[in-house]
Amino acid sequence: MSLVSFVKIRKNSRDSIKQAILESLKLIDYRFQKQSKNVVIKPNMCYYWDYSTGQTTDPKFVAALIDLIRERISTDTNISIVESDASAMTCKYAFKMLGYEKLAQDYNVKLINLSEDKNGIIEVMAGGEAFRLKVPQTIQNADLKINIPKIKYTMENIKITCALKNIFGCNPYPKKFRYHPKLEQAIVAINKAMKFDLCLIDGIIVSGIQPRKLGLVMASKDPVAIDVAAAEVAGVNPRTIRYIQLASREGLGNTEFIPKGEPLDYFKDRYPKKNLKGKMMSKVYSLAVNTGLGKRLGLE
Amino acid sequence: MDEIRLGLIGLGYIGRIHLRHCMKLDSADLVAVSDLSKKALKTARDAGVKKTFTNYEHLLKSPEIDAVIIALPTHLHLQCAEQAAEAKKHIFLEKPIARNTAEAKQIISATQRNSVKLMIGYPLRFNTTFRNANEKIKTGTLGDIELACATYISTGPFFHRAESHTPKPVPEWWFKKELTGGGALIDTGVHMINLLRWYFGEITDIKSRLGYRFNMNFEDSATCLARFKSGTVGIINAGWFSQDFALKVELFGTLQHTNAQLLSPNRLLTAVQMLTTGSSKFYQSHFAELQHFTNCLIKDIPPSPTGQGALKDLEAISRAYKNQIQLNQTWA
Repeated sequence: MSLVSFVKIRKNSRDSIKQAILESLKLIDYRFQKQSKNVVIKPNMCYYWDYSTGQTTDPKFVAALIDLIRERISTDTNISIVESDASAMTCKYAFKMLGYEKLAQDYNVKLINLSEDKNGIIEVMAGGEAFRLKVPQTIQNADLKINIPKIKYTMENIKITCALKNIFGCNPYPKKFRYHPKLEQAIVAINKAMKFDLCLIDGIIVSGIQPRKLGLVMASKDPVAIDVAAAEVAGVNPRTIRYIQLASREGLGNTEFIPKGEPLDYFKDRYPKKNLKGKMMSKVYSLAVNTGLGKRLGLE
Repeated sequence: MDEIRLGLIGLGYIGRIHLRHCMKLDSADLVAVSDLSKKALKTARDAGVKKTFTNYEHLLKSPEIDAVIIALPTHLHLQCAEQAAEAKKHIFLEKPIARNTAEAKQIISATQRNSVKLMIGYPLRFNTTFRNANEKIKTGTLGDIELACATYISTGPFFHRAESHTPKPVPEWWFKKELTGGGALIDTGVHMINLLRWYFGEITDIKSRLGYRFNMNFEDSATCLARFKSGTVGIINAGWFSQDFALKVELFGTLQHTNAQLLSPNRLLTAVQMLTTGSSKFYQSHFAELQHFTNCLIKDIPPSPTGQGALKDLEAISRAYKNQIQLNQTWA
């Protein structure tokens, strides 16, 4: 079983976030290694929705982590914040609009658009499907890779997105909707191709049916365990999330975890749950998309 | 002339709404559309439009077209409107009339030179709620209006609602100030400036405070303080920063106060209404403005809102951009 920590952020300040991250790492017995020279941080950037929507990692959270890396590893550590172009999002504008360009200037870190990075091709199997994937050089060369996802409901059949799904964004191929017919297998394949060392969930604001301030930091070395824990926080049965189960079967981590820190229920009770109307809307939306009506109605 | 033969140039967001409405107009026939997107043109053909062009210049050469609706990105307004005027087509042009006052003057001049009519798309002037407010002002029901607060805050091009919506790519031109002429103030604030000018007369002074939440070189929020010829002081709020929708005017008179508000559209309901009836409650004023335009052409009378009025809106916005006030984070 893997350790997953739950820590409450006391105040919404960078120092307080830093303390919470530090505590969350101690709880899972994680220590930064002094020999790490090249660190990659993968926040979740979603369209041009900023941190207030709960869709995008708060730059303050990343800033607090950079402070910690510089303190615990070295002030010379080469840090890259990575994201890739998506079907509807262009990195060059997302970096700017979501506050990452300013963060990179203030903290002297690199911003890497993985869609423009050099890459190598690898072939991966997941769930019986073969994928030919590009692995960006920045990710290949990193000796420490940190995943900073959000916890979000999604209208898609995958129900919830968190650590495993965030790595889907490391795929440099921009037209990611191409993978949607086999999304579950694709998520697992990309995680197999690009294994991250550490997951830290930015739960300052979480996105359920409505975004809400939750003030949560979660940490784990296991992306499957942290996704299971995140699903439980969000009130979704992790056993019904197929890509998490598939990831476990493919050896990416454990579905069982040992919680550390604050009780999971404290955050679960406060997580914005889907009400009946929300559930109905999800059903209507899925139906519209699956029947092709979504395109005609302009919902896609 | 008892029926106007229309051409529609541009099938982006607003162009597609005009397409649906054109098909419902009694006084007009949509003869042709043009757009760069072949997919959009197929949509038009499916809706019953016979002629489609990927180059609007070919549409303008069609002798059977009397008037055109121009729903192109702002930086293309001048070139397209001048060519349409030269081709002797009457013009319905989306707001803002142009990126700046110099371009707006050239558009007006071209229409005057060629004796074609020009109307600018300001649908709030055709909305019953905002018309009723105007009636109350003009009849003195509210007394003297000391203060008017006009607010148009929405998603803008970048910040569509996260829940239940699949994000769509944002056309590149929206990110370039040199192509748009500005940000939220020229895009949505222009509606409120036009509306308040209709209510209270010309703007005699205006100052602005601009916001840059999204770190771009154009404003994503603006608050303007304006003095009108009537003596009314107006506060105009425009924003592209919210996933919620607020479009309202609050009028504070010496006798009464009143509000006029356009409620947030239910996206699914609006989409179904547009698909089944060709119009929706939310977009009824967009339909009414096209009706007005075509009726004016049939009766050979000048349509309104005019190009001159739209120029005045841009002059006010230009002054607002110049007269910025800074608010400090702490007391100086």
